[in-house]
Amino acid sequence: MIVAERKTIPELVEILNGHKKILVLGCGTCVTVCLAGGEREVSIISSALRIASNIRKLDFEIEELTIERQCDNVFIEQATEAIERNDVVLSLGCGAGVQAIAERFLEKPVYAGLNTEFIGVLEERGIWTEKCAACGACVLHQYGGICPITRCAKHMLNGPCGGSREDRCEVRPDRPCAWQLIYQRLKGIGQLDRLKKIAPPKNWETSLDGGCRVIIREDHRI
Amino acid sequence: MNICIFYCSNSLDANALKQNISNNEKDEVNTVSLPCSGKVNLLYLLKAFENGADGVILVTCGQNECHFLEGNLRAKKRAEAVDSMLEEIGLGKGRMIVIRKNNEGIKQITTALEQLKKDLS
Ligand code: SF4
Ligand code: SF4
Repeated sequence: MIVAERKTIPELVEILNGHKKILVLGCGTCVTVCLAGGEREVSIISSALRIASNIRKLDFEIEELTIERQCDNVFIEQATEAIERNDVVLSLGCGAGVQAIAERFLEKPVYAGLNTEFIGVLEERGIWTEKCAACGACVLHQYGGICPITRCAKHMLNGPCGGSREDRCEVRPDRPCAWQLIYQRLKGIGQLDRLKKIAPPKNWETSLDGGCRVIIREDHRI
Repeated sequence: MNICIFYCSNSLDANALKQNISNNEKDEVNTVSLPCSGKVNLLYLLKAFENGADGVILVTCGQNECHFLEGNLRAKKRAEAVDSMLEEIGLGKGRMIVIRKNNEGIKQITTALEQLKKDLS
């Protein structure tokens, strides 16, 4: 899932300052699961903004709404009336959700209330970790299912770097060395031989370096 | 001054609490009973502030005494999150107080209430 975190209240106040009627719009999918932008967080952030507005006499009038998915037209339509009766939208969707709303309401300022952080998983209660950088040409099969691009701080395809301490990454000692994990995992599944092959430089054109990506599925277009 | 007391109904007697709290022209104290202090979430507490509370006290049962095992631990962490959020908002820290019940009974609560009023005045 996409993992995000809310911006601070002072940041949000600065973004919204000067506006009156504000729709705080949540998304019921990834950002609900990562406890950043679902129905509950919409209420919490709205409440905090109302308190801030009272203290600073900002005159905010805040409406709350959460739709199932902000990155999908079918659901965005359900927010149309609420979006139209407010001056601005503070979207608690991921970056894709914010842009999907903005592209469909050209006259309406749409602001991001969250910082979209990464594609990841819930590691344990209250802890999310990054697992995938959406490189566009997945190589997980070569590394025992552990992504060296995302989880090795140096993105090394031919690791390790030699700097790890015990099993910790030298860049982030609070995180395990990805190459230690790759080694253990490949050993466990009897595929250590894979490490004897040198991986060629990765073609980053499939990633962001090749420009904004688009997928066209002709079989779904009629 | 407006203070709101959220309390776990397993750790405080509602009647005793009401009898020992006096509202007057200057001060309004509202009480909210919870089936467990772990029932509070950030929104309950923030809503109290949104609706005019100057301070909020959350009363939990003592360590290892929670009927639902860890409700009191969760409540404390949520209250801490609200305290930080109030600081972000610009109200400063110290308006959100957690009291873990000891054996002083209702006196513990009234003392904390008076202290909070003093701190906020
Ligand atoms: S190799 Fe690319 S697609 Fe696969 S997990 Fe890593 S970043 Fe994601
Ligand atoms: S210590 Fe391990 S994870 Fe960290 S940069 Fe080096 S190889 Fe990558």
